[in-house]
Amino acid sequence: MADIKDTKSARAKVNKALTYAVMFFFTFMAIYPLFWLLMNSFKTTTEFQLNKLGFPQHWTLINYKDAWVRGKFPHLILNSMVYTGVTTVVTLGLSFMAGFGFAKIPHKATKILHGSFIIGLLLTLQSIMVPLFLLINWTGLYNTRLGVLIPYIGIAMPMGIYLGTDYIKSIPNALIESARLDGATYFRIFRSIIVPMALPVGVTLAILTVTGTWNEFMLINILTSSDALKSLPVGVQKFAGALSSDFGKQFAALVIGLIPMLAFYLGFRKEITKGVAAGAVKG
Amino acid sequence: MTGMKKISILALALLLVVSTAFAQGTKEDSAAAGQVELTVLNYIDMSEPNSANEVAMIWDKFSAENPDIKVVREDLFNEPFHQKTEAYVASGQLPDVLYMWPSGRSTSLHTTGSVKDLMPFLEKDGLVDSYNPATLAPQYAGYLGELPNGITTTHMLYVNKKVLRENGLEMPKSYAAMKAMVKPLKAKGIDLIAMDNMDAWVMQSCLFSMVVGRYGGVDWFERVENKEASFTDSWFLDSLKLIDDMYASEMIKRNSLTSPYGSSRGRFAAGKAAFYIDGDWSAGAFQTDITTGQALISKEAQANDFEMIVMPALPGEVISNSNSGVIGTGFGMSANLPSGSAKEEAAWRLIKFLQGEYVQTYRLTTGASFPSNLNVDVDKVVKEANLEPFVAKRAAYYANYNTITPVVDGVLPADVNNVVNTGLQEIGLGKKTPVQVAQAVQKAWNEWESNK
Amino acid sequence: MSKVLSGKDALSSARKEQKRSYWMLVLPAVVIYLSVMAFPTVFSIVLSMTSYNGGKIFGGRIPVEFVGFKWYKRLFVDEYFYLALKNNMWIVLVSVLGQIPLGFFLAYVLYRGLVKLTDFFQTMIYLPCVISTVVIGILWKSFFSPHGAFPEIVRLFKPSYEYGVSNHPILPVLFVILWMYTGTYLIIFMANLQKIDSAVIEAARIDGASEGQSLRYIILPALSGVIVTSCILAISGSLKSFDLIYVMTGGGPANQTSVLSVYMFDKAFKGAPNYPLANAISTVMVTISFILIGLTKWAESKFGGRE
Repeated sequence: MADIKDTKSARAKVNKALTYAVMFFFTFMAIYPLFWLLMNSFKTTTEFQLNKLGFPQHWTLINYKDAWVRGKFPHLILNSMVYTGVTTVVTLGLSFMAGFGFAKIPHKATKILHGSFIIGLLLTLQSIMVPLFLLINWTGLYNTRLGVLIPYIGIAMPMGIYLGTDYIKSIPNALIESARLDGATYFRIFRSIIVPMALPVGVTLAILTVTGTWNEFMLINILTSSDALKSLPVGVQKFAGALSSDFGKQFAALVIGLIPMLAFYLGFRKEITKGVAAGAVKG
Repeated sequence: MTGMKKISILALALLLVVSTAFAQGTKEDSAAAGQVELTVLNYIDMSEPNSANEVAMIWDKFSAENPDIKVVREDLFNEPFHQKTEAYVASGQLPDVLYMWPSGRSTSLHTTGSVKDLMPFLEKDGLVDSYNPATLAPQYAGYLGELPNGITTTHMLYVNKKVLRENGLEMPKSYAAMKAMVKPLKAKGIDLIAMDNMDAWVMQSCLFSMVVGRYGGVDWFERVENKEASFTDSWFLDSLKLIDDMYASEMIKRNSLTSPYGSSRGRFAAGKAAFYIDGDWSAGAFQTDITTGQALISKEAQANDFEMIVMPALPGEVISNSNSGVIGTGFGMSANLPSGSAKEEAAWRLIKFLQGEYVQTYRLTTGASFPSNLNVDVDKVVKEANLEPFVAKRAAYYANYNTITPVVDGVLPADVNNVVNTGLQEIGLGKKTPVQVAQAVQKAWNEWESNK
Repeated sequence: MSKVLSGKDALSSARKEQKRSYWMLVLPAVVIYLSVMAFPTVFSIVLSMTSYNGGKIFGGRIPVEFVGFKWYKRLFVDEYFYLALKNNMWIVLVSVLGQIPLGFFLAYVLYRGLVKLTDFFQTMIYLPCVISTVVIGILWKSFFSPHGAFPEIVRLFKPSYEYGVSNHPILPVLFVILWMYTGTYLIIFMANLQKIDSAVIEAARIDGASEGQSLRYIILPALSGVIVTSCILAISGSLKSFDLIYVMTGGGPANQTSVLSVYMFDKAFKGAPNYPLANAISTVMVTISFILIGLTKWAESKFGGRE
């Protein structure tokens, strides 16, 4: 009896150790490349040629200094924050509004309008780049911040409507009906019932929009010409994408490129992990 | 409620950032009264060591000399540059002055007549004789769409003589001699030829075009156009077979197909390969970075250990020591500018300046390009004290190899050239045979001819 | 306004208010969306059936003609179209059969409390999802280059290793895709697992159900809806995937790592741009996603779960 118990607990221990090993393996896989990048950004290119895997033997900040000065990163980061922040806030607001309309106010246009947003989920941005450029040119918004923001918001709309409508549908009709009976207007209901109740999906949507907008690097090149309006990924691509012989500076530029999102993630870790999940709960 | 707190802090920060950014945006200065505003699409690699300096030396200088012109520049590089150009062409709203290629790389600018013929401008100013006549030849659509910065030779074989010396090897006189070096070098862990073939144009432009010239002669393209030669003939097929052989014998490693362009320069400079193949434009990358004072190859090593040549004699070649070359890139002028307008005059002034004596002399010293302007006294500039040995070596290289044959992407239409580019990579991967590639190229050519 | 509204009047004014509110709520989103996405899409579909060939689209030198399905026909005989399609399907497979099961497995281990440090593992594994694609693409491009870190790492275990060119250049790309997005599914499954009443599982365990049985009969059925949603996300995401491949390989060498969106991009912007052909490709892409998502929905209704 004692024997069996011993083997059982021994096996449990082995299992536990194995499970830990597997988890550590995946964690290691997830962060090693980033760690590798960080280490190499402190090496000179010459050292990198000889020592690709180890710690730097002579730590240097020269790569960062060069990349920072040449890449004009400060204003790119600022621009990225503006585009991402405004796009996210506006997308959230519009998606909630339209989502409320679609989900809770019966109307015969809903089917076709809502359906057209869902098709938008499947569209690739690359196929509409040139028509968009023409459009922005006609409207005189070329090379302005607004001319970047409006397309960004439009592109984020389908996901917003998809998640927003779906979530708002799950808010009990009874709540809305009783408010209506009390004489509340739809706007009032929107403000006092829908917005507070839809906040969880708002977080999800915010995260998806933030990462999507922050990452965008192609459309903005088409829609603006002035360097003062471009965003961080454009700078990273311009600086590091072309620079394949000077690894040190390339790595430093990449680290600079990932720091803002990393800080955002670590700061809002809990909200983000909860948010991503909430959004995908419903089919 | 730390979550709420965080979110409000974030919102506040966002508000600050947005207002700052918009405040900054409105400061965007516009042309002062009496100034002509010129929009320019420029091509510049901001990661190149001397790019910041180039902006100061060229563009700032122009602005200082021409206070009546306000230049609004858009700097792009590589794919984003080409995307933007296509968007401009499609909308019909081009910048006033734009960087372009004389060849299929700028197809739509040439064929849609989006840029003006610059020849009448040169003639009016009596400048035709100031330029090397070869550089003023008609371009992709039969007229002078851009004023070229010179002649670009697309194949350059850099030799690390130190590596050869240390391994008891001599400068190769023939293809066979080069091939024989693979084995002894491999034993020491050294590659024969370093080359970065991830981007498809590299093999075609920096090696294959020269090979096609060796087998097909100077006039191969005219003969193809006149239906006297086809791509399935031996001149083209043998060229493909030679590339196949270079991969198969490990003269060029197959894994170079995953090597990003430019990434082998450091390895070559450090002696990890005996040879390095690139275009003549790459010479500047080995020279000193003015901002850091560092160079991939030091001045002493440039003088003693390195050489710039072309591939030695190939088996069965019909001309020898030839190189592939194409008219250089340069700036063109939007056809939208009204004739005789102040804008047109300003744009021409800028284009003239960019290919003028001052700029070309500067670009000669940085190794960026070799002049088309005959007023630049290359010998005198080269002799000046502080120039790096590579500048002189490059001048000698141009003098040594003066038989120039066409570059494939300089003459073939883009649709056909794409087939060549892809085919060369497929040969490298062993996915297709030279015969299959030759047939595919001929098919693409026939299609293009029938659509013309 | 009279003091007492008749019932009919009240009803119709409420109707009016309802209608007005509907449009006021919906219109801003609809207008932005239609102008930014729907209009350009319709525009591009129309263009895919014309002879437009570079230059000014309106008032160009060569008039644009309607050519019907010419470009679609041309597309279906191009070997590189099928190569790109095949790679897309690989990505769909890796997403559906790689990311989702792996994400589920990791979530399950964390959920069942088989390890501690749940928060740490979750945070780290999700980390790659938040980093810019541009950064990730360039990073892995350097990592997998013949003289980058990957061959060096292999040499630690096998000193004679030489980095050859792979017969399947898409493999590193698939690996990176797996690396990047598995964390998303970990998080999604984690949250949904937490909604299952753990008492049910404990009860089953006490009744003698094995870990596997409780997984099979309790957990998986409860998650079927989420699994289908995840599959839809994965499929539409996979078909659209562009950024990473564009930055990491550009589709090369020899189009071996190309996918439909990259293939389309090349046609639209490289060399002599063929804009109608590019638009034909994007129309085909949308059609394929419709079909795949339809299939998933069908599979759900056929074998589907509860929800």
